[in-house]
This record gives sequence, C-alpha cells and structure tokens, in this order.
Amino acid sequence: MKYVTIIGEKQYEIEIGKEGEVTINGEPRHVDFLNLGPSLYSLITDNLSFQVVVDGESGRYEVLMNGHLYETQVLDERALLMAQRRGGLAGGSGEINSPMPGLIVGVPIEAGQTVEAGQTVVILESMKMQNELKSPVSGVVESVLCEVGQTVDKNAKLAVVKPAEE
Amino acid sequence: MPDQHNINKVLIANRGEIAVRIIRACRDLGIRTVAVYSEADRTALHVRHADEAVHIGAPPPGESYLRKDKIIDAARQTGADAVHPGYGFLAENAGFAQDVMDAGLVWIGPPPDAIATMGDKHAARVTVTKSGVPLVPGTPAGLRDEELIAKASEIGFPVLVKAVAGGGGRGMRKVYKEADFREALATARREAESAFGNGDVYLEKLLVGARHIEFQILADAFGNTIHLGERECSIQRRHQKLVEEAPSPFVDATLREKMGEMAIAAARSVGYINAGTIECLVDRDKNYYFLEMNTRLQVEHPITELVTGVDLVKEQIRIARGRPMSRTSNVMQPHGHAIECRINAEDPYMNFIPSTGRITTLITPTGPGVRVDSGVYPGYEITPYYDSMIAKLVCWGEDRAEAMLRMRRALEEYTLMGLKHNIPFHLNLLNSFSFIAGQIDTNFVEERFDMKTYEESPTESELETAAIAATLFAHRKRQLAAQVVAPPKRDTSNWKWVGRWERLQR
Repeated sequence: MKYVTIIGEKQYEIEIGKEGEVTINGEPRHVDFLNLGPSLYSLITDNLSFQVVVDGESGRYEVLMNGHLYETQVLDERALLMAQRRGGLAGGSGEINSPMPGLIVGVPIEAGQTVEAGQTVVILESMKMQNELKSPVSGVVESVLCEVGQTVDKNAKLAVVKPAEE
Repeated sequence: MPDQHNINKVLIANRGEIAVRIIRACRDLGIRTVAVYSEADRTALHVRHADEAVHIGAPPPGESYLRKDKIIDAARQTGADAVHPGYGFLAENAGFAQDVMDAGLVWIGPPPDAIATMGDKHAARVTVTKSGVPLVPGTPAGLRDEELIAKASEIGFPVLVKAVAGGGGRGMRKVYKEADFREALATARREAESAFGNGDVYLEKLLVGARHIEFQILADAFGNTIHLGERECSIQRRHQKLVEEAPSPFVDATLREKMGEMAIAAARSVGYINAGTIECLVDRDKNYYFLEMNTRLQVEHPITELVTGVDLVKEQIRIARGRPMSRTSNVMQPHGHAIECRINAEDPYMNFIPSTGRITTLITPTGPGVRVDSGVYPGYEITPYYDSMIAKLVCWGEDRAEAMLRMRRALEEYTLMGLKHNIPFHLNLLNSFSFIAGQIDTNFVEERFDMKTYEESPTESELETAAIAATLFAHRKRQLAAQVVAPPKRDTSNWKWVGRWERLQR
C-alpha cells in the first residue's frame, strides 16, 4: 500500500509491503512497530527506541512521541486522488467549530467582513471561562451560524471563513 | 487545654485530585473516609478511593458540591465526625464552617469568623493593618464612581479595579490610563454584579514587575503560629497560577525572616487556627505588600511539603483534633527545591481554551523526586462542569537546577492523550531563559512568553519516525476494518455454532 503522510508542511511518501516492510521516500527502513495497549506502541528503527501513542480516525492521526504531539494526515491512494481533484492537499479549512459545549457570549464579526488569521470571531463561555475562538485562516466571513445567548454543543459549526486566495 | 475531638471518619466535601489527596492522608492516619459526588462524578477517582460514597445531586456545583444541607446530611447518614472542605467550593464559606460545627461535627479548617474576616477583602485590609502589615496603596470599598475616579488619579495609574466579593483571580480589571477608567469601572461593576451578586468594587495600585510570593502558615489551638517558608507563584495566566516553586529564587534569608514575621502577624490578627496562606506582592526592590489570606489548604501545598517534610493535611487533622502541631518553629532553611506544574485540560496552542473528552492513554511519570497528585485515570471522561485542572506534577531536587531537570524529564514521560492539555506549555516554559534564570513576574506569561519562541522544533529523523508511526497505525486500522466487513466464513448462525461447540466440550 502506498500512502502520503503529511505533518505540517512536510510530506512523506510511505509504502507498506505485504510483510510489513516500510519504505519512506523510496528508502527502505527496518521498523518494528509493536502494539502494547489501546493506542500505545513501541517503535524501534535502526536501534532507536521510541514510545509512541497514536490516536485518531478517518485519515487524521495524532502522534505523541518524546513529549511532542505531531498532527498528521495519512492519505491512501484513493484519498490522494480525491484531494488532488479538489485542488491541492491539506488546504486550510475556515470552519470555526465549538471545541466544547458552552454559551455564546460574543460574536464580534459579521458576514462579509474580512478577518485575519488569529482574529477573534466567537467568544464562548464554558468551564467558568470566557474563551476567544479565533479564525484559523485569513479571508472573508462567509457565514455566521450562531448568536449571542445561544448554547451550543461540542463540535457545533459556529462560523465559516472563506480563505483568501493567495 | 483546648477541647479534644475524636476524628474516626472524615467526610471530604470536594472532588478531584484534592479529595484523593485528603483521603490518602486519612488512610495514613487510619481514619475512614466518606466521598460525596455529583451525578457527573460517579466514575471519579475520589469515589473509588473512599471507604464510603454518597450521591449528593446533579452535575452543576450549585446542585451538589455547594449544597451545604446535602453535604451535612451525608455526614450524618454515614456517621462521619469531621468535614474537610479541600480548596474551592465551600472551603472559604464561613456559613458552611459554622453549619458543620452546629451539626456537632469537627470542621477541619480555621474558625468561621477568621474565614469571614479574611473573605471580606475590605475587612481583611482593615484588620491586618492594625498589626502593622503593609498593604498595596488603594481605596476602601463602598465608594461612589466619582470618588473612585478622584482616588484613581491620586494613587496614580496603572490601577487595578477589584470586586469586593471576588477572588481566585476573578473580578479584577487593569486600567492603564485615566481615559479608560470610567468605562472599565462600569464593566467591572457589571461583571461583579452578575458573577457575585455584589457590584461593589475598590481600587489598588497595580505594581509593575511584581512577583506573587506567598507564605504557608500553620497555627494550633495552643497559641503556636509558624510559617513554613514561601512559595513563588508568579507564573500565572489570567490570575490563575500555572507553575509554583519553593523556595522562591528571589527570596533570601533576610527577606524570608521579615516576610515570615509579617505573615504570622497577619494570621494572628484574626485569631487564625489551622493551615492558611498569606499571599503577597513583592516588587523589584523587595518591598512586600499583603494581598489576601487564603483560609484553606492551597492547590500548591505539595511543594511546601517536599521542602519541609511536613504533611500539611495530616497537620490540619491533628490541629482539628485539638492537639499541638508537630513542629513549632518556623522553617528558615527549606531542604532542596520543589516545583509544581499544574496539568490542565487546556490547549496552549489555542489560547488555553479548555478541552473535554475521554482520556485514552495515560502514563504517569515516576522515579526519583517525582510526585503526582492526580484525579484522573485512563478511560476517565473530563466533563465541562468543573475546573480544568486534572493533576499536579511536583518534582523535588537538591537545588533549583536539579528540580528543573527532573521536571523536564517527568513532563516528557507524562503521556496523556484523548484531550488537549498544557504539558507542551510547561516544556516550553522550561526552555525559556527568563524562567531558568528565575527572572519572572506575574505578567511574564501573558506579556513576554510565547509558545512559538521556545518551541523546540523536531528533527528531520523525529518527523520521519512520527510519519511512519502514523502510517503504520492507519495501515493496520484499515486492515482490521477490512476483516470486520468480510462476510462470515461459516454458513450457519454463530449462535448455533457456539452451541454445538459447547456440547462438544462437555
């Protein structure tokens, strides 16, 4: 199986053979990847030993290794093909979702407005704290899907920012 | 001779790591324990550790952990003879302390009138000043807007607008220039009114570059009042402490002696008995000012325990029993150095937004000099009802450098997955030169610290390894999924097959 795995701005072509042999960017690697618990693994490669935790689903996986969390995207051939048709890999999504249940206490933006990445778009009160949710991308606010005083569930879509063309 | 009280069974009016901490002290003393829990906490760790557990209501604190009547009923029902309030919830509620005592139970904490005096910021200032305790320049409570505006320019900007009924970092607002004052005052009043039901505010001079340093106090009913040295708590965000250490790298023996005497005088001024903490601000010239007294056990009490060898919860119980405390002299020379990192379910990359979810993997650090006070376990679900602090990682070393290195090692060992947490923040903080050099103040995290500046970027080989791990994980998951959807190999029903197989085994 061929995969393309993305971490941040880096892309790796990884091939896994029938017997589990691994090739990364064309170079063969000896990898012993042993499962020790629900998402806990011991990985030994070239005598380097790592304790690794991997979690996630549907192509997006988090890898915790040496106290560092890597957010990865693993695309198989089919997913890769579809992504290319959509026009490019890992384009930043402009959706602002509620990370937890809470109460909307402020929406300092409106549809049609231009926002910068990192600009506060929604203020959510939860766990006794007011949390500023920021736009992940620069662009134009396409829609605002919540209003002040509304209670929202976890993962509720609150606003959509259309990324600016580069 | 003070009254002696039997304590054979303690009810812990709290939850999470502090409830577990108190249960452990009780176990050490051979005392039985009663946990109380809300509907959301049936699976909580403190319930598992306690000898008995009583359900007291719905998840919101107002319907469970803040219900004095239900908690006292639970104590009656289980035959508990004492109540330990922990920190937060009802710990600094004088009315609850009185209710507990009126119900014929022992209150493991200070006298209700000491809680009441210190809980009222204004009354506390008036009382401690009489004992010569220095205060940050400010105004009394109860002034009208026009009077406050006049006073603000007299004190000089920047000033802090504080809610009389606030606490724990809530109900405070910084104002840097006169032009912003009127609006900030209105907002502060409105917030205080909605949060605490009391819109009264007062002003305090905002000290620039000040450190938050606090003294641990212990006092018994025999008239002994001592301090156990200081804790440096300047690493804060939105007035919430994140990292604490003892001793403070800024405090020398002379300052410790002077501030310690002041802390004892402040505690004595309200007739304090049991464990308490005097919080101070210390400016760059080592001028110190009384901020407030926390009339309870502090979150960060373990660092004091590690550098003094005193078990503060056991001392609290001893004092509540009416016995003299085990040590009656001040701690002038702490042994070694201890650091605590609060492990919070907050995403440091997303403006410290709280995170909820199920803990999928948890590997807790161990080894020399490491202590973890935790309220969670693998499979435990973090709900949005309570505080986001899930554990405290405390490391001890012969000196500050060894404590920091052990902390780094322990943080790297700490494996916590399933929700976002602030361990990356702590690792980055330990990379910052200012922290390493002990050059910190209460604004350090908010004004001069950035996750990006101190982030160690992974090496190319680490990135490749992470990519391989993720890909192998995805690959195996895919293979597994392919097996599950495969049609059954046997033509008969599985139930029939199992029945036949079982008959064969007889």
